[in-house]
Amino acid sequence: MTDNQRRILEMLAEKKISIDEAERLLAVIGQPVAGETGASDTTQVSKSLPKYLRVVVTPGPDQDTQAKAEQVNIRVPLALIRAGMKFTAFIPQDKANRVNEALQSKGLDFDVRNLGKEGVEELIEALRDLEVNVDSNEGKVRIYAE
Amino acid sequence: MMCPPSILRVRIHNRRRHFGLWLPLFLLWPVVLVLGLVLWPLLLICAAALWPSGWGRPLLLGGPILFSLLCALRGLKVEVNQPSEQVLISFQ
Repeated sequence: MTDNQRRILEMLAEKKISIDEAERLLAVIGQPVAGETGASDTTQVSKSLPKYLRVVVTPGPDQDTQAKAEQVNIRVPLALIRAGMKFTAFIPQDKANRVNEALQSKGLDFDVRNLGKEGVEELIEALRDLEVNVDSNEGKVRIYAE
Repeated sequence: MMCPPSILRVRIHNRRRHFGLWLPLFLLWPVVLVLGLVLWPLLLICAAALWPSGWGRPLLLGGPILFSLLCALRGLKVEVNQPSEQVLISFQ
């Protein structure tokens, strides 16, 4: 056990942080440092890929807004992105060429048919660090991957 | 292994209506499987006929892709709560 892990557990024992926060911190320090990735590290990273995209909207402390506001809790499996990407196979070659031409005219050198599995995995891995927090009197919006 | 969702849960509560549904999707999968097997030769013929137009391949790949999309729905949950209305849609 490293010093950092011990410190997190101590903070949890002292109730300075919640269980969720401790779990997150342990996950963060458990990640390999860039450049150190070996074969075993790669499998560790792929295991810790997020599974869901969460959108949570909670009403703010205002009594008026609480009476009217909505509480939204959405959990979208990231496997939907993987499955959705496979739909690029539906695009016939000539149509894909037209899409690519249109993208190139906008300055995007991108082939819609070359959205491989690796690209999607990379995208999902990048989502692990995504966290959007909007806090106002009317409510709180939180978007994150878990 | 990817599995399609086995239960669809829908719950709508408002002042006028209370509606809750547990739909056992796992009962539908054998029916869908049989239908798929019956329609498979027809699909192959259609794909072969449409191959020159470029739509044969998408038609052929459509089944597995739709299946993977269906499997990916497992875990999807949408819950909206208002003081006067509650809606829940969940694939389990």
